[in-house]
Amino acid sequence: MAVYTQLLVRRYLSTRIIPLIAVAAVGLCVALVVIVVSVMSGFLDNLRASGRTLMGDVVISYPVQGIPYYKEFIADVLKLPGAAAATPLVDTYGLLRMPYPGGPNKDVVTAQVWAIEPETFAQVTELDRTIWWKPAASPQEALAMAEDDPRRQQDLSGLYEDAKVLRDRATGRPGALLGMHVSIVNQRQRDGSYRPRNSMWWMPNHEITVTLVPISEKGTVSQSNSRVFKVVNEVMSGVFQVDKNRVFIPLKEGQELLRLDEAPIVDTTAVPDASGNYPVIGTSPARATQILVRAKEGVTPDELRVQVAEAYEQFYLQKSADPSVRTRPPATEYVSIMTWEQRLRDLIAPVEKERQMMRILFSITYLVCAGLILAIFWSIVSEKTRDIGILRAIGASRMGVLWIFLRYGLTIGMVGSGVGIALAWLVIRNINAIHMALGNDAPRWLYVTFFLLAAGSAALTVRALTRSRILSVLLWTVATLALVGIGTGLVLHRGFLIWDPAVYYFATIPSEMDWNNAWITAVGAIVFSVLGAAVPAARAADIDPVRALRYE
Amino acid sequence: MTMHPHSTPPHAAEGVLLSACDVVRTYRMGRVEVPVLKSASIDVKPGEWVAILGSSGSGKSTLLHLLGGLDRADSGTVTFRGEHVGGYSQSRLDRYRNEHIGFVFQFYHLLPELNVLENTLLPATIGIGRFEWMRRQGEIRDRARMLLERFGLSHRFRHRPAELSGGERQRVAIARALMHNPDVLLADEPTGNLDAKTGDTILDMIAEQHRAGLTVVMVTHDQWIAARADRTVHLVDGRVA
Repeated sequence: MAVYTQLLVRRYLSTRIIPLIAVAAVGLCVALVVIVVSVMSGFLDNLRASGRTLMGDVVISYPVQGIPYYKEFIADVLKLPGAAAATPLVDTYGLLRMPYPGGPNKDVVTAQVWAIEPETFAQVTELDRTIWWKPAASPQEALAMAEDDPRRQQDLSGLYEDAKVLRDRATGRPGALLGMHVSIVNQRQRDGSYRPRNSMWWMPNHEITVTLVPISEKGTVSQSNSRVFKVVNEVMSGVFQVDKNRVFIPLKEGQELLRLDEAPIVDTTAVPDASGNYPVIGTSPARATQILVRAKEGVTPDELRVQVAEAYEQFYLQKSADPSVRTRPPATEYVSIMTWEQRLRDLIAPVEKERQMMRILFSITYLVCAGLILAIFWSIVSEKTRDIGILRAIGASRMGVLWIFLRYGLTIGMVGSGVGIALAWLVIRNINAIHMALGNDAPRWLYVTFFLLAAGSAALTVRALTRSRILSVLLWTVATLALVGIGTGLVLHRGFLIWDPAVYYFATIPSEMDWNNAWITAVGAIVFSVLGAAVPAARAADIDPVRALRYE
Repeated sequence: MTMHPHSTPPHAAEGVLLSACDVVRTYRMGRVEVPVLKSASIDVKPGEWVAILGSSGSGKSTLLHLLGGLDRADSGTVTFRGEHVGGYSQSRLDRYRNEHIGFVFQFYHLLPELNVLENTLLPATIGIGRFEWMRRQGEIRDRARMLLERFGLSHRFRHRPAELSGGERQRVAIARALMHNPDVLLADEPTGNLDAKTGDTILDMIAEQHRAGLTVVMVTHDQWIAARADRTVHLVDGRVA
């Protein structure tokens, strides 16, 4: 392509205001799409990461009655080439009586109770990471904590060690781990840390009573069982629904409360002995309602799920064929074997759909870009009609004229996309800081600055009035009103937080740029900028040079 | 009449550089057709300075546009060195304007975003590709500077057209027209927007180029200006009188 197209595009871009407006418009459109989709992608990634954090890669589930001989099955699973670790648990709902001081308010709460083996559970999930009250991992981390953060003030190593074994190590009594929001005690701070509402009282080391209701094989409710647990620590998974509802207790105690522990089978048709006991004819094995499995590095959850399903089939066939086994495991078709993603499908699928919908909706901004550039270029071509005639008179071809405006659109699209991506990157990197700033009252220097700028703008309005410059009066008046409006808004601003963890599951806004989406958005904006420029460019190429030279 | 694009038309006389023969051009203004050229003919010999004299609306600018390949005649032929210009393809016509014709207009028609040097360089930047430009850039820039210096604009290289006087703008326009060493300079009322003294200076510059061998076709409505030419052709109501 000839040199003049490059020269003219450069000059048209650098000597005029309109292309800068177009660049700003494209940049804002790109930034908008990239920020929204990046936050949603980050949200989805968090959801997925949390899924793995909370339940490993594959979940074998048979609720209520549980899977017997689960230890043998876990031994089989651990021999699988794709399995790194496995852990049993009992999952149920129960009541917690809370030991709040001074009143019955919210004394009893419902909770999802997970009875776990803490050691193997920690191998499958990231339990250690979610334990909240623990010493800082490094001096730097401690320094980063607020002065009044209990994690900085107190020695929490004892609590941390108790949490890891779910037991009060001093007395050997069973312990409980509460989700951070199960109790009403913890108050979230703006920096994401927690303080007890009453600085003299917090949950750890207090006792809660857990009441669970066993359900028989026939589906009837039996007498409820209660037991006291010492709260050894609290967990913060980052998923609000979990932190609000979940309580961990040791597996053995959970099984006992739900009567899923090992028990003798007696023959009630026989004659009881002298002390009234029926003869024991076998043993009912302990059960677990879920088995969580973690995949080895490089093995996908789906691959592991296939292996686990085959292993369960073998386990079931072997137990069914064994005449000494009185309690058969449930048949494969009754057992749910799912990856964490399938298990969280109800949660993940709507977010994925929402993200897709956002992409489609925000793609409209591409049309805005294209429309804007079309309008701007249409006016530029009209204004440049005589220039086009001059160029044609000197020998420029129609394709050359077409290329000037296409290249102009391409440049605006590229520069605008670059600006948009840079802006989006800045916002996303600092989104939590921006959010926190919105949550605080505006600093005095900020609104004072706006009022000073407004005063300056008002002075310029008066000067424009004295010179009878209507456009200047209008522009400076608008600027003054806008600055006063912003300043007043800042004075009245009392802080609000948009990202409510109760609604969005996670405590912080995802702040990772979705680069794939960013590039796609940028390319889309460039394509639509060129498309927007194409119609005026074709119009320019079609202009009759003789008419163009006479154009006034 | 159908002709091979590059064949020699029957009327083309020996020793004629540029010629129009019985050209007709009608413009459409809404629903009304306005015949501007009704059957005009002109022969221009190499090195000749021809003035086309006529009143406003007589069709003299239209004839100039046809000769320069900016427009195509409805009928009749325009020939350049015996070649039928009307038969040129669009790209050949663009090249014809770029290589053989230099236009000078009444209203200068400089590009406002480019400075004086860049405006002068335009025909060169249009006529050659990027690689040739990279290879010959120095030589081409030297020629532009030389032309501008010759026209007394050495102190104006970096100035925009808006910063120049009318006479200076027209001098830049002439420098631009001469940049590519054209065979013919087509000037449409080159002094029409200038005062008499500045107009004379411009005519002196054109005369100087003509003395150096350049063929000039100049449109004017002023017979005193036309008198500077070797020959005057009168155009009345779309016909050569």
